[in-house]
Order: sequence, then structure tokens, then C-alpha cells
Amino acid sequence: MLLQFVFAFLSTIGFAVLFNIPKKAILKASFAGGIGWIAYAFSNNYFHSPIVDSFIGACIVAIISEIFARKFKETVTVFVIPGIIPLVPGAGMYYTMMAVVERDFNKFALVGSETMFTAGGIAVALLIVSSMTRMIVQLKTKFKTIKSSM
Amino acid sequence: MYHTTKNILSLALYAGEIMLQNGAETYRVEDTIIRICQAYNISYVESFVIPTGIFVSVDQGNADTKVVTFIKRIKTRTIDLNKVSQINDFSRKVSVSNLSVEEGMEILKKIDTLSKYPKKIKLFCSGIASACFGLLLGATYIDSLSSFIISILVYISVSFIEHLNSNLFIQNFIGGIIAALLAILAVNIHLGINIDKIIISSIMILVPGVAITNAVRDSISGELLSGVARSAEAIIIAISIAVGVGTVMNAWIYLRGGIS
Repeated sequence: MLLQFVFAFLSTIGFAVLFNIPKKAILKASFAGGIGWIAYAFSNNYFHSPIVDSFIGACIVAIISEIFARKFKETVTVFVIPGIIPLVPGAGMYYTMMAVVERDFNKFALVGSETMFTAGGIAVALLIVSSMTRMIVQLKTKFKTIKSSM
Repeated sequence: MYHTTKNILSLALYAGEIMLQNGAETYRVEDTIIRICQAYNISYVESFVIPTGIFVSVDQGNADTKVVTFIKRIKTRTIDLNKVSQINDFSRKVSVSNLSVEEGMEILKKIDTLSKYPKKIKLFCSGIASACFGLLLGATYIDSLSSFIISILVYISVSFIEHLNSNLFIQNFIGGIIAALLAILAVNIHLGINIDKIIISSIMILVPGVAITNAVRDSISGELLSGVARSAEAIIIAISIAVGVGTVMNAWIYLRGGIS
């Protein structure tokens, strides 16, 4: 498991440099990526479904990124974009394409729909986490105004 | 301190342009433009940003002033999140300190010319990214070595094609072709066993992570137009990689007379 973390960490560092992430954010983004992958691997042991696993992994990445963004005053995308890359279903994309090449259209439908749902799972995870954070932030400011008015 | 509306607007527009060209979400660009204009006491600002253009209207709010509108067309887009982050800092700074417009312009010009990471480091990192991703998928060490080399070559060729006034489709198509060709070569000279894992990890550097993330984040903010546009971008990239790899694999299977 530690080895997996190290590989995910290094892989995210690589993607972070490709996207020109600011120097001081690279290690933090890679940490998010590494933890996200560990969550993915853990949930893979329980659910054995790439859709659920990617969803959970992306949720973890998004939560860590939102916290880091608030704490270090950076944009959220700086952490999210490299962090989710290890979860993106590149393998599913490849096997979908190979199913077309092999003219096995049952497999194409099976793998293709799974890949699409995996990508959708990542998107929904990001969507849920960042809308929840917005609501929480809104709630906090409301509480503050109520407190100060009292 | 007095600034003309036009100066302030060009400052805000320049900041927005840098952000949008370097892969920021559209709602963030709109926010930045509005925030900069409001920092200079412009009472009425409205900005409309889509991935290919910026539209801003400002008015001083007096009965005798004219409404000023700017349209900026964005043609080239790259990914440089460092600049996005720098401009974000800048817009925060503008709203708390009273910088003059000239000073602001100076800062923006500095940000615009900020260099990316050196090419050698980028090449090395693209290799590391692919190799480690391969290991995550369960490839052998020798597989990951060959995907290290292949992804460096893919990165070199894609960034070369990028300068030839090409489009998104052809870049990723050629990237896919090169990855598949070199993976077949690597397996045939016994520099790897799993052809699928080598290809998957080498094409990961082309995967549209920024487009996916921005599509989601724009859709949440109610920017449906940009959300759809960016999802389309992500799908086009994914399909063109698949077509590139698929062409080569199909030819290979045809030549070999079967699936190896």
C-alpha cells in the first residue's frame, strides 16, 4: 500500500509539472493525488466497481483540495486537476477502443458504458464536494452575521 | 487618484485574458474582471465570458457618461495554472491596496511573461508521470521503463505539432499514433511485456484533466454554455486519442493476421 502511495505521489508530481502548477503547491497537490489513489485502492477491495471506487477517490481528492485551497489561499483547481488524473479511466478508454478494433460490440457496450460512468462518477464527486463547500461557506457567513447582530 | 474608465477596463480585460488563455474556469475570469473593476470604484460592471471570448461592459453610473464595452476574442489556449494562481493573488491584492492602473499593468505584464518550467524538467516529469501510472496499473518495471521513454517522445512530438498551427484533434491523434507505434516496437524488442499497459500509461499525459475539471466547475457555477463547451473539448480529446491508437492497433492486427 505504501508503494502504491509513492507511485501515485510521483505520478501526480509529474502531471503537476506538466500543468505548470506553482512550485509551492506541487507537493501538496501530489499529496492529495496520493491519498485519493489510496482511497480508490481501499474501496476497490470492498466494492470491486471502478465507478464507485473512482467516485470515492475523487471525493477524497476534492475534499483535500478544498481544505488546502482555503488554508494556503490558492485556487482549488491547482490541487484538483493533477490530483484526479490518476483516477481518470485511461485503461477503460483503451479497452473500449480495443473492443471496437476487435469488432466485439458486446464488450464495447460493456466496457464503454463502464468507462463513461467512471468519468461521470469523478465529475459528480467534484460537483458534490464543491457545491457542498459553497453551501457550508455560505452557512458560515450567515452564522457570523447573525452572531454579530446579536 | 483618477483613472479613466478605459484604462481600468483594459487592466481588467488583460487580467481576464491571461487567465482564460491559461486554463482558468470561466466563472473565475468573470469574478476577477468584476472584482478589479469594483476595486477602482466603477459602479456598474457586467462581464460575460465563454471559453473563446470575453465581453465586458462598464458604466460610471453618471447620467452624462457613456457605457464602455470591450470584446476580446481568445484564440490560443494553453495550460499554465501558475499564471492563473498569480492573477488570482493579484486580484486579491488590487481590492485591498490601492495600486495605480499603471502599476497594475506592470505586474500583469510580469505575470504574462513568467516562464514555464524548463523543458528538460517537463520532459522528465512526463516520463515519471507515465512510468508511475503504469506501475499503479500493475505493469512490470520493464514496462514502466519503456512507457517512461515513450511518453517523453510523445510529449516532444505533441509539443512540436502544437507550434505548427494545428488543432486539438490532430495533436492528440498523432500523440495516440506515436504511443501505439512505439509500444508495439517496445514489445517486439522485448522492452516490455504488456502492450496494453504501456500504451495506457503513455497516453495518460494527453488525458484532458483540465477540461474535465473546468467543465464540472463551470456547470456548478451556472455557466452552462462553458460547461457544455468544455465537456465537448474533453470528449473530442478522448476520441482523438482513441482514434489514433485504434488506427495503429487495427493495422497491426491486420498485418499480424490476428490478435497477439
